[in-house]
Amino acid sequence: MHGEFKTPGGKLVVVDFDVQDGRLTNVMISGDFFLYPEDALPALSGALEGVDRMLGGDALAERIRLGFPPGAELLGTSPEAIATAVERGLVDSEEQGRT
Amino acid sequence: MTEGNLLDELAGGLPEEREARWKRYRWHLIPPEPTPPLVNMALDEVLTLRVGSGERPPTLRIWGWDRSCVVLGRFQSVRNEVDERAMAEHNVQLVRRISGGGAMFIEPEGTITYSIFAPEEMVAGMSFPESYAFFDSWVIDALRELGVEAWYQPLNDITSTGGKIGGAAQARRGGAVLHHTTMAYQMNTSLMSKILRVGKEKLSDKGVKSADKRVGPLRQQTDLDRDVIIHHLIGHFRARFGLVDDQVTDSEYAEAKRLITDRFSTPEWIYFLP
Repeated sequence: MHGEFKTPGGKLVVVDFDVQDGRLTNVMISGDFFLYPEDALPALSGALEGVDRMLGGDALAERIRLGFPPGAELLGTSPEAIATAVERGLVDSEEQGRT
Repeated sequence: MTEGNLLDELAGGLPEEREARWKRYRWHLIPPEPTPPLVNMALDEVLTLRVGSGERPPTLRIWGWDRSCVVLGRFQSVRNEVDERAMAEHNVQLVRRISGGGAMFIEPEGTITYSIFAPEEMVAGMSFPESYAFFDSWVIDALRELGVEAWYQPLNDITSTGGKIGGAAQARRGGAVLHHTTMAYQMNTSLMSKILRVGKEKLSDKGVKSADKRVGPLRQQTDLDRDVIIHHLIGHFRARFGLVDDQVTDSEYAEAKRLITDRFSTPEWIYFLP
């Protein structure tokens, strides 16, 4: 699955993932945002691993926020924007599934 | 709000205070020479660490290139950003830098890129957005001296009445800040559009007016040669903050070579996000 979202006034965030047994897996977050320190990225994508695909945007954003290592700072995008990209990926795949 | 006010609000204190932050150091200059893309990537890291450890004084490095390439941001996915087949066809190399931000399509004479390596204390008390505007403020002034009506567009863009000129990115390592900026001088838009993927989503909040993501390469805004602009930037910095002529040392090159082998040339790094 693949979802993209241009953070309003900010950067593009892209989330690629699979769904297995109703849960997100192989999550890859990418985009032209900034993250300090840079090696905090696996913690962000890791926060979405195993998450129930039925969770709504707010709950997804909360998961990402909880995954933030202490002191990490995200610039140009936000947990909410990443959650929106995930939701778009899920919606797109549902639509494809119906056709 | 005028552009000048915006910068004043963002860039960390009163004008005199900002000026003093620059003048606190004896800056060194590494002038441009044609350099392989991987060496440019590795030198960013080596010089940042050396400034952080105090082995190298704060430094301004102007980049040179020996071939065309795409420089991916730290967090960009290869397949989302570039068409690798078109890159191979046109002999464009793919590299990944240590800082976040967006992909740049580089042709050796098409851009002006510089790195500023500074101790982190230089931006003490500033937020990230403030420090971005701070590090590029002298360039805005230098461009205005050339008649280019430029200003800083947070978070990380240099823009102008003629369109977007360039963008910056930062990384922090071992007590030092790397701030690097690439400005478009002349753009090969037809080749660029074959190589970079620019999705609809990326343009979605830009509004109708700039749906073509209006860019304003410097060559469209001045008749000056690229070398003349670079010379002017260096002259502005030298007159304002002082500059000692320098070069990359043998030991720094050796360290860069090691980093290229161990990291920057490896698929694990370049395809970190496939």
